[in-house]
Amino acid sequence: MSKKISRRDFLKLAGMGAATGAALTGCGPASRYVVREPYTQMPEYTFNGQSTYFATTCRECPAGCGLVVRTYQGRALKTEGNPAHPVNQGKTCARGQATLHGLYNPDRVTDPVSQSTRGSRDFSDMDWDAAVQVVADALSNTEPAAIAFLLGPAPDHLFDLVSDLTGAIGAPAPVRYGALSMFEARATLIQATESMLGESRLPVFDLANAGVTFSFGANFLETWLSPVAYTRGYSRMRKQEKRGYLVQFEPRMSQTAAKADEWIPLKSGTEGMVALAIGRLSAEVRGAALPRAFVDVDVAGVAEESGVPVETLLHLAELLAGAERPLAIPGGAALSHINGMATGEAVLALNAMAGNFGQPGGVFLSPVPPNVDEYHHPASLQEMGAFVEQMKAGDIQVLLVHGVNPLFELPNALGFEDAMKSVPLVISFATFPDETALQSDYIFPDHHGLESWGYQRIAAGTDRSTLSGAQPVVVPFYNTRATADVLLAAFAEVGGELAAALPFADEVAFMQDKLLPLVENKDANFNAAEINTFFAYFQQLGGWWGNQIAFTAPAQNTLNNAMTVAAPEFEGEGEFVLLPFVSPVLAESGANKPWLQEVPDPTTTVMWNSWVEINPDVGHELGIENDDVVRIVSEAGAVEVSVYLYPAIRPDTIAIPFGQGHTAYGRYAEGRGVNPLDLLGLKFNEAGDLAYASMRVRIEKTGRKRELARLESKIGVYGEGLGEEH
Amino acid sequence: MKPIDLNEMGAIGAIAQEAEGKWGMVIDQDLCTGCQACVAACSMENNIAFVGEEDASYGRSLQWIRIERFWEGEYPEVKMTPFQPMLCQHCHNAPCEPVCPVFAAVHSPAEDLNLQVYNRCVGTRYCANNCPYQVRVFNWRDYERPEPLNNQFNPDVTVRRRGIMEKCTFCLQRIHRAEDLAKAEGREVRDGEFTTACAQACPADAIIFGRLDDPESRVNQLSKPDRGYQMLEELGTVPRITYFKEG
Repeated sequence: MSKKISRRDFLKLAGMGAATGAALTGCGPASRYVVREPYTQMPEYTFNGQSTYFATTCRECPAGCGLVVRTYQGRALKTEGNPAHPVNQGKTCARGQATLHGLYNPDRVTDPVSQSTRGSRDFSDMDWDAAVQVVADALSNTEPAAIAFLLGPAPDHLFDLVSDLTGAIGAPAPVRYGALSMFEARATLIQATESMLGESRLPVFDLANAGVTFSFGANFLETWLSPVAYTRGYSRMRKQEKRGYLVQFEPRMSQTAAKADEWIPLKSGTEGMVALAIGRLSAEVRGAALPRAFVDVDVAGVAEESGVPVETLLHLAELLAGAERPLAIPGGAALSHINGMATGEAVLALNAMAGNFGQPGGVFLSPVPPNVDEYHHPASLQEMGAFVEQMKAGDIQVLLVHGVNPLFELPNALGFEDAMKSVPLVISFATFPDETALQSDYIFPDHHGLESWGYQRIAAGTDRSTLSGAQPVVVPFYNTRATADVLLAAFAEVGGELAAALPFADEVAFMQDKLLPLVENKDANFNAAEINTFFAYFQQLGGWWGNQIAFTAPAQNTLNNAMTVAAPEFEGEGEFVLLPFVSPVLAESGANKPWLQEVPDPTTTVMWNSWVEINPDVGHELGIENDDVVRIVSEAGAVEVSVYLYPAIRPDTIAIPFGQGHTAYGRYAEGRGVNPLDLLGLKFNEAGDLAYASMRVRIEKTGRKRELARLESKIGVYGEGLGEEH
Repeated sequence: MKPIDLNEMGAIGAIAQEAEGKWGMVIDQDLCTGCQACVAACSMENNIAFVGEEDASYGRSLQWIRIERFWEGEYPEVKMTPFQPMLCQHCHNAPCEPVCPVFAAVHSPAEDLNLQVYNRCVGTRYCANNCPYQVRVFNWRDYERPEPLNNQFNPDVTVRRRGIMEKCTFCLQRIHRAEDLAKAEGREVRDGEFTTACAQACPADAIIFGRLDDPESRVNQLSKPDRGYQMLEELGTVPRITYFKEG
C-alpha cells in the first residue's frame, strides 16, 4: 500500500466497492511490498471462513478480460469474471477459468537460472542481484542498436516500459508478436479497414444488433479478437425480438459455424470473390444501381471457382437484400491467402453496400485505448521474418524475450531457432520452461499473471476507451521477480545520465506515472483527486474505463472503385489444402494446464492430443479409419498425427488444430500432439501476413494406430474399440 | 413447469407427481456456443480431478457437466445438433436413489436436490447404472494432483478419492453459503443472490440458475412454453432443468 493512504482509509474505499456490488479490495497480498508471513500472524483483512476477492486482468490471451479472483488464506481458489468490466461483463472462457492451473503449475521456473549450454536443461540457480547484474551488463556493454526486445501481446505496461527504455538508450523499439494475431491476420484486417473505412484501426462488428450476419471464416465464438465479448454479442443477437440469423462461410465447420443457421463450405481462399458475387446479386435483387465495385464480378465464374452453386449465391443475395441490419465479418483464415487484402476489402464492401458503417448492427472503429495515441498492432509474419534476418546477420547481440514463445508460435520455416544461434546472449523472462526459454542462456522468471502488476489496453471488445488493471492476488509463490522491476533495477545499475530517463523505484511507480494523465479525465468509472487514490480505485475496480460509448463511426464508402479478388494460389504439391486452426480450448498457451487438456474440443470432443480432420468419404476412399496415424507432408515439413474422420469438412481440405506439439513447456504439454505450423511455408499477402491457409499437403499412411481420447464415445469403458496396446 | 399428463405417462407416470421444487435451472440451447467455459468452471469450483489421456479415453473423465453434440446428415448437408450441456438433472423422482444399498444417493427434503454422501458411498455404481442421463462419474483411481496444484482446492468442497461416485451438486456449497448469510440477516435467499459456477461463467448467458418456487425468479420468468422441454421427460423423473431448444 502506498504510504499516503492509511489502512483505515483503504478499508473505507473497499467498503465503497462492496456497496457497488463487488466486494473487492486493493489491500492485503496486493499491497505494494509483500512479505510472506506465517498465518500465526493473520493479516487483518483475513477472517476465518471468509474469502477475499481481488480484481485483476486475465493474461491467458491479449483480449484483457477483467477477473475477480477468490482468495482464501493467501491462496487463489477460483477466477470469476469482473461484472463491472466492459470487455467480459462478469463472464469468462474456459482458459480464464483454468488460469489457476498456470499459477499453481508444478512445472514453473522457480528461481532465476543460468543454463550451461542452450537446450541442455542443465540449470544453475542464481540470486536476483546476479541476475540484475547480467541484464545491466548486457544493456551497458552492448551497442544499443544490437539490443532486441521481443515481447508478447500482453502486458502493456511492460511494453511501455521497454519502449521508454529502448528510446532512452537508442535501441530499436520492442517487437511484439503472438500466434493469435497471426491466425487472425491482424495486419491484413487493419490494412483492409484503412482502405475501406479510412482509418488504421481494428474494426468492431456490432453483432448484438445485427439482423443477418455473414461471417467469412471469423471464428468469433472461439479465439478471434475478443471471444468473450463477441460471444455476448452473439447471445444478444439471438435474443433480439426478431432472432438474428447467422451464415458462416468456411471450408471446415468450426465451432462458430456449428452455431450458424447455414454453413457454406466454400473452397479455401474464395471468400472474397464469393462476397463480391453476393454483393452484385444482392444489388440486382434490390433493383438498385449496381455499385462500381461489383461491375466486374462474373457470378458464374465465382460459382465455378468457389464450389458454391449459383442458386446458393442467389439465395444468399436475397437473404442479404431482404435483411434489416445486415453485417459481414472477415475472419482470419479468409485473409490468410495471397489475395487476403482483396478479400478483406470485398467483405467490408458488403457492409459499405448495406450502409451500416457507424449504424447499430454495423461496423465501427474500436475506441482508442487511453494513454496511447494509436493502436500498436503486433508484428506480422513478414516483420518477424525481417527480425529473424537481423538475427541471422549478426545484427542482434542481445535478445530479451518476454511473454511469447517464438519457437512454438512461429512456423519452423522462418528459421527462428537457427537464427538464435547467431545471437551471443539470449535472456528469457518466461514463467514456464517453454521451448524458447530452454534455448536461452538465462531464464529470469517473471511472476505469473495473477501475481503481477500491470495494465492492458483493450484493442477490441469494448465500446469505450478501456485500460484494464492487474494486481497481484496472491504473494508470489516462487522466487520470481517482475520483469519490469528487473529492467528498472538493471537500468539503475547502469547508472549515469541514462538512469535519469527512468527514475522509478519499481514498476508500480512507473505505472502510476503512466496513469497520471488519466487522473484529469473525470468522465470515467471513478474519479479521484490525486494519483494514490486513483491507483487504489484502479486496483479495486479492475481498471479504468470511460463512461461514454466511444465507438467511431467511419465515413460511408461509396464503392466507386471496381473490385476484383484473384483466384487463390496454393503452394506445394498434394491433393489436400491444409487448414490450421487455433484450438478453441488450448489456443497458443493453454497446453500446460491439465484441466484444459482434459476439456473436450467443442466440435470433435477430443482431449489431450492433436488430430487431423479428414472428410469420411475421403477416408474411406483412401482406406483410412479413425485413429489411424497418418503422415501429413508439405514442402516445408511433415507431422504424424491420428485421424479424426470429421463429417463437416470439404473433401479437398484437411484441418489440424494449433495448440499442441510442444517439445518443452512442462509435463502436461511436452511430447503431446503435433504443431501444424511445422507444415507452413513462407508466402505472404500484401499486408505481410502469412498466407497460412494456402499450403497443399499429401497424406501418407503409416500403418499404425493411436487412439484419440474422445468424450463422444464411451465404448472404451469395457475395452471394445481399443487397440492392442490397452 | 409443464404439467405432466398421466395418460401420456402410463405406469411410469403414475409415480410421477407435480412437484415445484426449490432450485432449478434453464439452459438455452439456442445460446449455448459449446465453449466449455462451464466445464472448466465446474472443475475449478468443485475440486474435480483430471484423469489423464488414457483414462479419459476409457470414458473415465470426471467432469460433472459435459457438452453433447451429435451429427445429422452427410456432407455437404451435414448439421451439428445444438450443443447440449448435460449435468445432473436433480430429478424429483430420481432413478439413482432407490438403488443405492447404503443410502449414499439420497434426496434432500430441505433443498429438493439429489445428494451424494461421499463417506457412505461404497462404490457399487448401481446409481450410475440407473441414471438415464449418464451424468454420474466414478473415481476409478486416486488421481494424482502434483504439488502445488493442491493449493487451488476449494475448502468448501470435499476432495473425493478412489471408489467414490460423484456428480453435480448444483454447487450446494454456494447454496449453503447464501442460506447462511440470509439466515443471519433474517430473510429469505433472494433470486440471483448467488449462482452456480457454470452459470456464472457462461459467456453466452445460456445457463440460468435460480429459485423454482419464486414465480418472479429469472428461471420462471424466462420460461418459453413453445421452446421448453425436459430431458427424457417421458420417464417421469421430473427433472429440475428445463432446456430451450434452438430457434
